[in-house]
Amino acid sequence: MNQIEEGIEGFFSNIGALDAIRVTFVMAISSTFISAVIGITLGLLLERHDFKGKKVIIRINRTLMGVPPVVIGLMVYLLLMRRGPLGSLSLLFTVQGMILAQTLIITPIVSGMVYSHAARSAPSIRQFARTMGASKWQTNLLMLQEMKHEIYFAIVTGFGRSISEVGAVMLVGGNIKGSTRTMTTAISLLKSQGIFTEGVTLGLILLLMAFILQWMADYFQKEETSDENY
Amino acid sequence: MRITDLEKKTGDFRLHIEDLSIQEGAIHGFVGGNGCGKTTLAKLIMGILPADGGEIDLKNLTPLEMTMTSQRPYLLHMSVYDNIIYPLKIRKSRVDEKRIDEMLGLSGLLDKKNQYARSLSSGERQKVSLIRALIFNPKLIIIDETLSNMDIESVQLFEKMILEMQLKNPVTWIMISHQLAHIYKMCDYVHFFAKGKLVDSGTADEIFLKSQNEIIRSYVETQMIEKRGND
Repeated sequence: MNQIEEGIEGFFSNIGALDAIRVTFVMAISSTFISAVIGITLGLLLERHDFKGKKVIIRINRTLMGVPPVVIGLMVYLLLMRRGPLGSLSLLFTVQGMILAQTLIITPIVSGMVYSHAARSAPSIRQFARTMGASKWQTNLLMLQEMKHEIYFAIVTGFGRSISEVGAVMLVGGNIKGSTRTMTTAISLLKSQGIFTEGVTLGLILLLMAFILQWMADYFQKEETSDENY
Repeated sequence: MRITDLEKKTGDFRLHIEDLSIQEGAIHGFVGGNGCGKTTLAKLIMGILPADGGEIDLKNLTPLEMTMTSQRPYLLHMSVYDNIIYPLKIRKSRVDEKRIDEMLGLSGLLDKKNQYARSLSSGERQKVSLIRALIFNPKLIIIDETLSNMDIESVQLFEKMILEMQLKNPVTWIMISHQLAHIYKMCDYVHFFAKGKLVDSGTADEIFLKSQNEIIRSYVETQMIEKRGND
């Protein structure tokens, strides 16, 4: 029994697994939260307003949805490096810097998904609200209520992207043990050192945690039945 | 309500209504072929579409006193009951459970009160949308082909319900339909549209039986032949 305990203790302390788990979740939850607030607002605003250059913005958004994270990581690195435009903020190799990079990666995903759904369903929701005599505020609230499933999926997708990301956090965070090391960067390090067992274990922990979070989200997100009845 | 010089252009289609009066407390029928502008006009009255020109004088009617239902009504991702009480909720009005149950019972939906509304059939969806429109006692109700997918018994039931409500508390109705028998039975006034213009207005008898207008006569005859063919 002692051997197992020692083994587990050794595993967690050698690579700083517990800190990596903590950093991973702080980073993923923070960046997902910020991205959700910005992305949902942007997606809905983009659907609501027509203006010159809207199509270009939609195209840029779609491009950013698929941009390699390492490119964003490099850009953020250049911005945050000591001689960079935001160097004075001293955010390079910090969790805050990693959150910034992740937010830049996830926000276009959330805004793009929300816009895409809103473009299809918002006009009929708005039209319905008008026929019910709803105020502007009530209409906006109704939009969020009616699109909650799609918004939820956009957030979950963003969170999934954040928790699984390696390139950008490695560049911006520097993979510093106990400080900016995440579970994915730890796995990457373990692999480079040829320590596969621990790498796989950490990967399984990551998978399990993502599953638990997804399960919790599903539990609170009560699904309606959609039995067809003709 | 008075509509003067109203204009709306959508693509190649142009709606232009020079003068149309909607008498308060009466049932009006909007009739005409597909794409003649009936629904566009209804949406302009509701404020769903902005007009390009002209005027719609609603005579002090506020958006809270008007409603519109369509052939394919929008039902919220909620239960039948929650859909019905939505207009009451946004008005912070009292929910009359007895009336809701009565209306659901009459339309055969009482056992589906707590069912997910979007799982209903198209006819049942139309019933829910009609109950939702009636529940908050609006002063103007526009129904755009809302009875089209209901069975004959349900159509007759709603017709009876509407006529009874009109006797007790008359409100303004605009009914858009291709079912001339329904329009003839229900409407005090009929307005015939063609190619984005109001062709003629009058009582149902004046429009369907006495009109000398070629377009109206041809439309009525075609509809009657189709009806006989379907029978």
